[in-house]
Amino acid sequence: MSEDAKPVQPSRPRREWLLPLFLALATSAWMLAVEGHQGIGRDESQYFRAGERYWGWVESTVKEIGKGHFASAFSRGAVDAAWDDNHEHPSLMKLLYGASWRAFHTCDCTGPKRGLHPIPITGKHATLPLFKRESSAFRFPAILLAGLGVALVYWLARRVLQPLPSAVAAVLSVAQPHYFFHAQISCFDVPITVMAVLVALAYWKSLRSPRWGILCGVFWGLALATKHNAWLFPFFLLPHYLWIRRRDLLRLRPPRIPLVFVSMATIGPVVLFVLWPWLWHSPVDRARGWLVRHTQHEHYNFEYLGRNWNLPPKETDRKLLRMTFPFVSTLITVPVTTLALAGIGTVLFLRRRRRTAEARLSNPGSRENRVFVDEGPTAAHASWIRPGIDVDLSPGVFLAIHIAGPIALIALPSTPIFGGVKHFLPAMPFFCVVAGAGAAWLVQFARRLFSPLRFRGALPASLAVLLCLPAVAETQRSHPDGLGHYNLLAGGFAGGASLGMNRQFWGYSALPILPWMIAHRPTSNRIYWHDVLHDAITMYQRDGRLPIGVGDAGVGENVVEQSDLGILILEKHFTVYEGLEWQAYQTTKPSSVYAHEGVPFVVGYERKPQPPRPEQP
Amino acid sequence: MLLALVETVNAFVAPALAPSEKDWRAAAAEVRAGFQPGDLIVAAPAWSDSLMRVQLGDLVPMPIAGRMDAGRFGRIWEISQRGARAAETQSAQMAATSRHGRLSVKLWQKPAARVAFDFLSQWQKASLSVSTPDRGELPCWMAQAKFQCGEGTSLGPELLEIDTALRNGLAIDPHERTITVLEYSDVPFGRELAVAAGLHNVWLRKSGDGKVHLRVLADGRELGAVDAGSLSGWSVRRFDTSGLAGRQGKVRFEITVDKAHGRHFGFAAEARNP
Repeated sequence: MSEDAKPVQPSRPRREWLLPLFLALATSAWMLAVEGHQGIGRDESQYFRAGERYWGWVESTVKEIGKGHFASAFSRGAVDAAWDDNHEHPSLMKLLYGASWRAFHTCDCTGPKRGLHPIPITGKHATLPLFKRESSAFRFPAILLAGLGVALVYWLARRVLQPLPSAVAAVLSVAQPHYFFHAQISCFDVPITVMAVLVALAYWKSLRSPRWGILCGVFWGLALATKHNAWLFPFFLLPHYLWIRRRDLLRLRPPRIPLVFVSMATIGPVVLFVLWPWLWHSPVDRARGWLVRHTQHEHYNFEYLGRNWNLPPKETDRKLLRMTFPFVSTLITVPVTTLALAGIGTVLFLRRRRRTAEARLSNPGSRENRVFVDEGPTAAHASWIRPGIDVDLSPGVFLAIHIAGPIALIALPSTPIFGGVKHFLPAMPFFCVVAGAGAAWLVQFARRLFSPLRFRGALPASLAVLLCLPAVAETQRSHPDGLGHYNLLAGGFAGGASLGMNRQFWGYSALPILPWMIAHRPTSNRIYWHDVLHDAITMYQRDGRLPIGVGDAGVGENVVEQSDLGILILEKHFTVYEGLEWQAYQTTKPSSVYAHEGVPFVVGYERKPQPPRPEQP
Repeated sequence: MLLALVETVNAFVAPALAPSEKDWRAAAAEVRAGFQPGDLIVAAPAWSDSLMRVQLGDLVPMPIAGRMDAGRFGRIWEISQRGARAAETQSAQMAATSRHGRLSVKLWQKPAARVAFDFLSQWQKASLSVSTPDRGELPCWMAQAKFQCGEGTSLGPELLEIDTALRNGLAIDPHERTITVLEYSDVPFGRELAVAAGLHNVWLRKSGDGKVHLRVLADGRELGAVDAGSLSGWSVRRFDTSGLAGRQGKVRFEITVDKAHGRHFGFAAEARNP
C-alpha cells in the first residue's frame, strides 16, 4: 500500500509480525550484550533471592505431590516458608526469574558456592547452560519481556500509524537511557510498563472484539501479579471508555458496562490469586496489607534540583517545586529528538481530534490522514461485547490519559519520588506512540520536499533510522549508568549533576570498583559495603566477580569504624557516611573513584598503615 | 532532522569532553607546586570534589574539608571544568590560571579574615551549664573529650553532616525546657563574630520537626540568634562586633529547642577581622 493519498489498506500479515519480531529480538540481543556491565541494585538482589526461593517451592511442591503429600505441600507453613520472602511485591516476575535461573544457569552449585544459595542445594542442577553468570540467567525473562514490550508498542502504534512510524515509536520506547537501565534487570518497572501496554492494547481491541475483552481480564491479572501499578490501569481505561461513549452520557443514557471491564473485574483478581501463593491462606488480609504498604510508602531520599527530598513538602513553594518533578525529569531524561517528535505528534493528535471520521474519509489526502490509520466506526450500533464499534475510538484521548495518568500521580506532592523516572515509566510507551506520529509527519514532509529525487523511495526508512539514531546513541552512551544520564538539554551526565539531579540509587554502581576492592582487600577482611546489600555481594560471588568469603562488615553507622576498607555510593543524602569513613580511615583522600564521563558515582577509602613514629631522642 | 544529527553527534563527542585522569593529575601537580600552608583547594562544580580529593586529599584534611566557611582563606586553588566557579571564590580576584586538558586551575586571592578566636578549636576553654525551671542552673563537667551534664546533655566537637555537607562543629542534643549555656571568657573580639549552625544527620532531620534556637551574647549584650530546623541548612550569620574589636570579653551561647526529638545540633563560630 502506498503511504500517500490512497485509502489505508490492511498491511501484509508478514510485515505485521516480522518487523515487530525483529525489533523484539534486536532489543533483547542489545540488552543481553550489555547487561553484564550493569551492577546489582538492592532491590534486584532481593528479587534474585526471592525468585530462587519461589522456584524452590515449586520444585519441592511438585515432589511432595508426587509423593502423595498434597495437603502438606500446600499447607500454610509450607507456602509461607517460601512466599513470605519479599511479599510486599507480587509473584509473577520473581517466579519467572527463579525459573529462568533454574533452567539456564551454568551449575557449579555443589562447589564452594553451595552455601551462597537461599535454598538447600542437594545436587548439581541439570540445566541448559545459556549463561555463564547466574545473574544473567535471572535477568533473562526481564530482557525477553522488554523485547516483547517493543513489539507491543509497535502493535499499539499500528492502531493509529503506518508500519514505519510504528517501528520508530517502538524503537524510541526502549531507546531511553533510564528506561533501558531498568529494562535489563530483574525488577518490575519495565515489566509493569510492558503489562500496561499489553492491557491497553487488549482494551483497545476489546472495543470491537469480544475475544480481546476476555483476554484483557487475563492480562490485567498478569499485570496485577507483576506490580501494584496495575491497580491504576482501570482508572486510565474507564475515562477513555466514558469519553468515546460521551454521546450516551449526554443523552442521559448510561453506557453499558462492557465485557472488558466485567472480564477485568472477575478474571483479573483470579489470575492474581492463582499466581501469588502468598494470598492463598489469607487473601483478604494480605491483599489489604499489600494495598496499605504501597499507599503509605515511606519517602526515601531522592535528589531533585539540588535538594534532598525525603518527606512530603509542607510549604507551598516546595510543593510547587516538587510538583514539577515528573515534568522536568521527562524534559531532561528523554532524548531530545524523541521529545521534539512527541511535540509534533501532539499537535497532529490535537488536529485529528477536531475532525470526524467522515471528514477524514472525504479528504483522505489531508496531512493528518496521511499520518494516521483510520479506525472509524464500522457498525451503526454497539453492544456490550463490541462497545466501540459505532464510534471513533479517540486515540489521542486514549494516549493522553495513559501519558498524563502516571505522570500526574507522581506530580502529587504527597507521592514519594524515590524511584525517579521509573515510577512513571508506564507513560513512556504511549508517549513514544505520539512521537511516532511526529515521525510519520516528518516522513511525509520529507517525501514532499524530495519528491523529484530518485532516492525518494529510500527516504522513509533512512529518515526513520536518522530519527532513532540519537536515542539509540544516547542510550548506549549512558550504559551502565543510565540513572545518572541526562539529555542534551541538561548537558549529559555532568549537566545533570550540576543541576542537582539524582545520579543513582540502591547501590547498583559498585560493580566497576570491585576489581579495586579485590586488589586492596584488607587482611582483616573487614569491608564496609555501604549501600550494597548483602544479597548483592552474594550474587557477585556466585557470578565469580568477587572471591568466595569476601568480608562484609554489615550495615549501619557504627560498623564503619570496624572496617579497614569501605566504599561510598555517592548520593546526596549519603554524605553522613563519607564523614564516618573519613573518621574511620583518618583521611579525606579516596583511594579509588569510579566516574562516568567525569562524574563520580562511587568512591573507595581504605585504612592506610600509620607511618612509624619517629624514634625518641 | 538537524536536531537528530546534533544530538547524535553530541552523544559521540560529549564523552570525550570529560576531564581525563591525566588532566586531573596535571592539574593536581600544578596546585601542589604552588600550594602554601593555609591555602584552600576546591573543585567546581562541587560534585567533582571527590575526584579532586583523590589527587589532593592530603592537602585538604578534615579541619579544612569541614570548614565553617571560606572567610579565613586568602588563597584559594580552584580546579574547575565546564566554566563552573566555586562559591568559595566569590568576591576573590584571580591571580593565576592555567589549563590542563579539560580542567582549569585558578588561583584566587582575597583578603583573608584574621581569626582572633576560634570557638570550635578552643572549646575546652569554655564552661558549659544547663538551666531548667525546676532545678536552676547546673554546671557540667569534662569527660571523654566532651562536656557531660547531669540530665544527659553532652557537648563536644564532631564531624557533622549538615545540609548534606560535612562540617566541623560543636554538637549537642538539646533538651526541651532547658537552656544550655556555653560560655567563653576573655575572648579577643574582632570586628565580627561569625556563627554557623545547623542540624546533623539526614535521617534525624527527617524524623523530627523541632527548631533549635541559638542565642549569641557578647559581654551580656545580645548580638542576635541563629535558628536551625530540618530545612534551614548550614546558616552562617555575621554579627557586627566592631564596637568591641580589640577588647576581650565574654561570649555566651544559649541553646534551646522546642521539640527535641531527632535534633542533633551543631554550630561553629569565629571572632574575626574581615
